[in-house]
Amino acid sequence: MKTRPLLGHFYRGLALLAVISSLGCSSMGVQPWERDILANPEMEMTADALDLAFDEHIYFSKEASSGGQGFAGGGCGCN
Amino acid sequence: MKPSKKKSFGKISGLLSAATCSLLGTTSGHADEWDIDSAILIYSEKDRVSAVEPVVSMKKDLNETDTLSMKITLDTLTGSSATGAVPSSQVQTFTRPSGKGEYTAKANELPLDDTFKDGRGQFSMNWDKAVDRNNRRNLGFSFSKEYDFLSLSGNGSWTHEMNQKNTSITGGINLELDTIDPVGGAPEPLSTVPYTIGGGSVSGSTIRDGDSKDRQVIDLLLGVTQIIDRTSLFQVNLSYSMADGYMNDPYKMVSIVDTDAANLGEPELNIYESRPDSRAKTSLYGKYKKSLANDDIITASLRIMTDDWGVDSQTLDLTYRWQMDRGYYLQPHLRYYTQSAADFYRYFLLDTDAVPEDVSADYRLGEMDATTFGLKFGKTDRYGNDWSVRFEQYLQTGDGSPSEAIGQLRNQDLYPDVEATIVQVNYSFKW
Amino acid sequence: MRLFSALILSLIIFPAFATDVRDISEFNLKQYQGKVVYLDFWASWCKPCQKSFPWMNQLQDKYPNDKFSVVTINLDTKTGDMNEFLEHIPANFAVYHDPKGSFAEKFKLPGMPTSYLIDTNGTAVKRHVGFSKSKAPKIELEIEALL
Repeated sequence: MKTRPLLGHFYRGLALLAVISSLGCSSMGVQPWERDILANPEMEMTADALDLAFDEHIYFSKEASSGGQGFAGGGCGCN
Repeated sequence: MKPSKKKSFGKISGLLSAATCSLLGTTSGHADEWDIDSAILIYSEKDRVSAVEPVVSMKKDLNETDTLSMKITLDTLTGSSATGAVPSSQVQTFTRPSGKGEYTAKANELPLDDTFKDGRGQFSMNWDKAVDRNNRRNLGFSFSKEYDFLSLSGNGSWTHEMNQKNTSITGGINLELDTIDPVGGAPEPLSTVPYTIGGGSVSGSTIRDGDSKDRQVIDLLLGVTQIIDRTSLFQVNLSYSMADGYMNDPYKMVSIVDTDAANLGEPELNIYESRPDSRAKTSLYGKYKKSLANDDIITASLRIMTDDWGVDSQTLDLTYRWQMDRGYYLQPHLRYYTQSAADFYRYFLLDTDAVPEDVSADYRLGEMDATTFGLKFGKTDRYGNDWSVRFEQYLQTGDGSPSEAIGQLRNQDLYPDVEATIVQVNYSFKW
Repeated sequence: MRLFSALILSLIIFPAFATDVRDISEFNLKQYQGKVVYLDFWASWCKPCQKSFPWMNQLQDKYPNDKFSVVTINLDTKTGDMNEFLEHIPANFAVYHDPKGSFAEKFKLPGMPTSYLIDTNGTAVKRHVGFSKSKAPKIELEIEALL
């Protein structure tokens, strides 16, 4: 069982995530009133959620991988 | 066991909805409506499985901070599925998993078990709460039942927003408990499948375990969503999954083939597969969305997965939404998937091989590529109802002539293509 | 063209519901001197803004017009989006269209929607970020305190 290299992958992924989020904090982003396009339902990370769910179910039963996909985020940023 | 379990980040039981509403202090007679997404999917594999799947998903704001969503999925499956046994130059006869009746594979035909008729019902419920301006909490529960399989899961996640909501970080956990009751009982792994080659009826029986089998899965997810600029954003998720318990497919087998010159490559017997009793997976997922000047949208995602079974996979997904007038759109879709074989995957075993502790000939654990081409057409209406129609064509290919094939196996396709067509219709409305 | 036909239609059929839309260049806080002003920044894509409109209509009706005004600034970049919103959810208060977001920049809005309570001297005394119906009674008390 290859748990050690697997944990290695996990920690590397974590480090990558930390780097990405710290980069994000400084240079990227928009003002609250500039979220018109991002507020569009088709621009949400969960757009086409029903399609994604169907696909995930199909691929789970035909292939060896599943999951890992997302959560929401982005959007209008209201309230 | 039909392994087509939906791993959703789930929802709470229906009985609780009324209780939940009162718990959250909402009164009836709220002007808010349910947002309903209904769809039906028709899935058809060439010569194999067919399925029809209606789904209804509903969402409602209970009050200003709480949202309730529920989803019901029904699934009816018919058709046949590859068992992992190899084709022979002669007729092969296998006993059905239930122990009653037999099925045959013609000469030079891949053995397919056609007793595969399954119905599934799934219910999930989700409670999303805005704790304050920058924090959201999500709790959910899911329940899924097939005739040989029961799955219960609970999940929770927390999202924190920062940088004027330009950055959001989500941490989540999902716990799943599965109970498997294979038809006829779970066969003893690596035991012999009652089987005859060259015609004639089958004799013998398998040692079967009448007890239910179970499995627990824990999923951990950490994700970051970042707004890049007014027209684009991306998300990166890291997830870790640990499964323990009964991992076998009780209906799958591995062929042991003859090494004698007389019958070279002919299957002598078949044994039930055996997988490790745990599986740990790590995956890194990234998704990017950009809105173009003409209102078209590009979405691209990549998922890299690795696990302790030796499977490594990459999934690339691209969609281009071509926005037309009055809310109409056309959306082509491309998905490319590739995976390496599990360490214990074998096309077959030789009768001179020592039988390994773990072995499976299930094509879903083999080395393969899969491509999907899709097209979706529909209409969205900000103040009204949406509808869409989606077509997808899936083709999975692997090496059907591996170098280890001997004798008659060289004349066989040991990894036939899996081809499937999907048609889906969606309708969203308020109620 | 849509705005024109909407205005004609609204003038004929729903005289009470024609929304007064002007360009931001016409906006001058001084013209509201002596009145308490509820200044709200909104956009068609902002869901809580949809919920705030019926309440803001009520507010405008509740307090005497010579002492209180609801004044709003719309931040939609596309006029069509703003008009479509107002067709579905009409307003009985003034709307100033600021497509470039210049006023939003001046105020450095922390979120959407944002509203400011301005006293009779033209000083902003309270700011509210986000809208929820549960906050409404509190804001009404604040307005009454200033009147």
